[in-house]
Amino acid sequence: MEEKKIGLASVVATGVGLVVASSCLLTLGIGAGSIGTTFIITMVIACLVNIFTLLSIAELNALMPNLTGGLAQFSLACVGPFVTIICMVGGYILCNSLAGSVEGAVFGNAFAEMFAEYGIPAWVFTVILIAFLVITNLNGVDVFVKVQDFVAYALILSLVAMGVLGALGIGTGEIVEQPEALATDFGSVTSLCGAAFFLFVGGEYVVPLNKNCKNAKRDIPLGMVISMLIILGMQTFLTLGFKNYTNWEDLAGSTTPQMLYGQALLGPLGRYWMLVITLLAAISSVNTILGSLAYILMGMSKIGLLPEFFQKTNKKGAPYIGIFLEMAIFVVLNVTGLSSADSISYMISVLAVLWLISYIVSNFNVILLRRRLPDAPRNFKTPLGYTVPILGILGSAYMIYSIDPSWEVKLSLYKVVLITLVVLGIYSFIWVKTRVKRPLFKPYAIKEVMAMENELYLSYHSAKKRVK
Amino acid sequence: MKVAIEELSKVEIITKEAKVAELTKEFGKFGITGMTVYDALGCGVQLGTQEYEVEKNTLPQLLPKQIVMVVLPSKEVDGFLEFVEKALYTGHIGDGKIFVSPVTNAVRVRTGEEGMDALKEGALD
Repeated sequence: MEEKKIGLASVVATGVGLVVASSCLLTLGIGAGSIGTTFIITMVIACLVNIFTLLSIAELNALMPNLTGGLAQFSLACVGPFVTIICMVGGYILCNSLAGSVEGAVFGNAFAEMFAEYGIPAWVFTVILIAFLVITNLNGVDVFVKVQDFVAYALILSLVAMGVLGALGIGTGEIVEQPEALATDFGSVTSLCGAAFFLFVGGEYVVPLNKNCKNAKRDIPLGMVISMLIILGMQTFLTLGFKNYTNWEDLAGSTTPQMLYGQALLGPLGRYWMLVITLLAAISSVNTILGSLAYILMGMSKIGLLPEFFQKTNKKGAPYIGIFLEMAIFVVLNVTGLSSADSISYMISVLAVLWLISYIVSNFNVILLRRRLPDAPRNFKTPLGYTVPILGILGSAYMIYSIDPSWEVKLSLYKVVLITLVVLGIYSFIWVKTRVKRPLFKPYAIKEVMAMENELYLSYHSAKKRVK
Repeated sequence: MKVAIEELSKVEIITKEAKVAELTKEFGKFGITGMTVYDALGCGVQLGTQEYEVEKNTLPQLLPKQIVMVVLPSKEVDGFLEFVEKALYTGHIGDGKIFVSPVTNAVRVRTGEEGMDALKEGALD
C-alpha cells in the first residue's frame, strides 16, 4: 500500500503547531512586560539556542533515519539505556503529559468563561476536546496532518495579523506612550532566557514525520529551522504591538496578556479574536502532543524501554494504546483540577529544566557519534565542526542557569529537578537491570537500534526469551 | 597497447534492487555516460543473517542484490563515492558495499577510441 506523503509545509505546520501554545502567549506577555521590547533580544538568543539543538537533532536523524522513537533511540545509541530512560521518560513523557494537560485546561477555562451563565465546569469542555482529538488521531497520520495544518495556519495568520496591526500602530485602540525598553543591560535581558525558552520548545516533534516525508533529507532540518524563525517573527511583532497598545506594568501583571492586548488593540473584537487564537493554540498543542507522544511511546517500546503493548496499532496504523494513555492522563489531571492550580507554572519550570537536560544530552550525542563514526555518511551535518552542538550545550546550560530571575526560586527548582532525577534514576536502574538486562551505560550499536525498528525484531527476540 | 591519457577508475556498487533506479538517475552529474547493472547473489560478514534475527547464520545464505558498475575519471571518484554513500544510506545492515579499482584502459570497439574518449560521446560520431 502506498503511504501518504507530506511536504515541507506540513512539517513546518507540525513544528509551529506544537511550539506555539497558549501558555507561550502568557510567557511572552510576562517577558515583554518585565523588560519591554528588549525581550526581543532575549527571544533571539533563546531561538538561536533552540535552532542549534534542532540542527544537532537533525544530524542524529540523518544518521539514524526513520526511527519512531526520536531522541530516545538516538540516546540509546550514544549513552546507553540508563541515561536514555531518565532523559526521555523525565524530559519528554512527563513534561509533555503535563504540558498537554495545561493546554487542555486553558481551552476548557476559556469556554467555561464564555458560557459562565450555565455553570458548566471547565473540565467538561476539556474532555470534549480531548475526545474529539483522540478520534482524529486514531484515524492515523493523514487526518492528524489535515487537522494540524488547518489549526496551525489559522493560528499563524491570526498572530501575525494581530502582531503586525499592533506593531504598525494601526489598531482602533488608543496608542500608549511609554518607553520602548524597561531594561537594556545584559544581565536583565539574559535573565529571562529561561522563560523565552518556552516560546520555542518542541520543534523536534517533526522528527517522527521523517517516514512520511516526500523529501526528508531536506524537509526535516529545514522545517524545524523555518518553524523557529516563523515563531520568532510572530513573537517579535506581538512584542512591538504590546509596546504600542498595552502598559508594560499591566502586561506583566496579567494572567491573560493576549486578551488584554486584543482588547487594547481592537476593542471587544480583538478580545474575542484573541480568545479564538487561544483556543486554536490549545487545540493545536493538545493535538500534536497526543499524536507525537503516542509514536514516541511506540518507539521507546520497540527499543525495549517500555512495555510491548505500546506498539499495538489499529487498522489505520495509529498507536492507540499510547493515545488512550495520554488521553487518560490529560482527563485525570483536568478533572481532578491539577491543571488549574497556581503551582502549574512552577511545575512547568521544573519540567523545562528536564527538557533542557535532554537537549544537552542530544547535543552531546552528536559529538559522541562524530568521534565514534567520523566517516559514516550523513545526509545532514551541522556546519563548522563541533561548533553547533557545543553552542547547543552551552546555551541550554545557560538557560537552565537563568530559568528564573530569583535565586530563591531557582534553588528550589533545582532541588525539585534533582529529586525527580533521583526518582527516575531508581526507576531506570530497576528497569534496565530486570527487563533490559544490559550494562547501564553501554551504548547500543546503531545497527541494533535500527534493527529494533523492524517489527520482526521483537518477535524473534521475544521467541528467544521464551525458549530460554 | 596504447595507454589511457586520463586516469580512469571502476566503481562497483552492490546494493538492493529497490535502490538502483534512484541511485542511477543522478549519475550524469559526475560525467558518467554509461553504466552496467546486473543481478547477483551474495552475502557480507553477517553471512546473510537478517538484522532482526538473533542467531548469526553459520553457513552463507546468499541474498539477491544488484551490482551497478561504472567507469569514471579518477578525479571524480571521491565526490561520486560521497554521493553514492549518502544515497544508499539507511543505517540498516545491507545498505551495500562499494569497490573501487583502477582501469588501465577502455576501448570503444566500433571506433577504436581509447581511454576517456571511449566513454564519452564519440568525436567520430
